[in-house]
Amino acid sequence: MTPSGRLDIRPFACPLTWVKTRIALEGLRQGEVLEVLLADGEPLENVPRSAALEGHAVLSREPAPGGWRLLLRKGQVRHAPAPSWEA
Amino acid sequence: MPLSDAEVERYARQLLLPGWGKVPQDFVRVSRVQVVGGGPVAGPALAYLAAAGVGTILVDDAADAAAEDAAGWLWPPDRVGQPRSSVALESLRGANRFAKVRLHATGADPTAALVCASGATAREAAERARTAGIPHVVAEGDGDGGSVVVVPPGAPCFACAFRVGTGIPPPPATAAALGALAAAELLMILSGASLPMEGRRIELVRGHPQSRPTTRQPGCACGAPRVV
Ligand SMILES: [Zn+2]
Repeated sequence: MTPSGRLDIRPFACPLTWVKTRIALEGLRQGEVLEVLLADGEPLENVPRSAALEGHAVLSREPAPGGWRLLLRKGQVRHAPAPSWEA
Repeated sequence: MPLSDAEVERYARQLLLPGWGKVPQDFVRVSRVQVVGGGPVAGPALAYLAAAGVGTILVDDAADAAAEDAAGWLWPPDRVGQPRSSVALESLRGANRFAKVRLHATGADPTAALVCASGATAREAAERARTAGIPHVVAEGDGDGGSVVVVPPGAPCFACAFRVGTGIPPPPATAAALGALAAAELLMILSGASLPMEGRRIELVRGHPQSRPTTRQPGCACGAPRVV
């Protein structure tokens, strides 16, 4: 599987790890794959979880030099409805 | 120009909001918002727009600071009698180094307007924005609440949505809530984060917002096709 984008977030901490991943996903089309290099610990827990929560598919995670290699496939973009501000 | 690393860091939490992201942030960054009025509704609105990353804020306010403006966050009591617009500029300096805050001047060419005023000032500012074809939001404190009228391009105008109020200013916390609500509504339009965006009037009644779509009054000029 050839990723359409590659991102190295190993130097960053939360929330920038997910912010940068989300921005990279924003630049892809639905179905395209993003490769993310990330560190063990918090990023490895939070980035795939956040991606899955937003509807992207976590294809794989495997150890890589200096951390982990994560493959994400971009899911469908859902527009947020205008806030109703009502309870 | 893409968002810089420093901007991504500055807006990190906002970039994570549902529907938000680099593109909405960019739309907000390139916008120039004219803010009409000052005081307890306008202050929190100005602070919100600056912090959220509106690229250029144009402060349009001819009044001098009064004692009650201290409730609007930007006008300390020791500045009473000084022009509200220049005091606001000073107070907002440092709010966000990526936002430029300036005095509104003829030819400024805003891309949107936020009107924090009432009466004729509000009506005239809203009508100028409508004829300029730019989205605008009008926040008006009244009694123990107030209203926020949201006018995206082509929506029923402020005059169509107008209702007569009591003319009594709201308590400061209510005014601040209205200002923040109005700023958030304008940001939704500017960013394209929530689509589709329709004209609506939000009433804040004792802290509870109630939103209704606005409707066009028969024969109002806002229904005529715009000459471009
Ligand atoms: Zn109208």
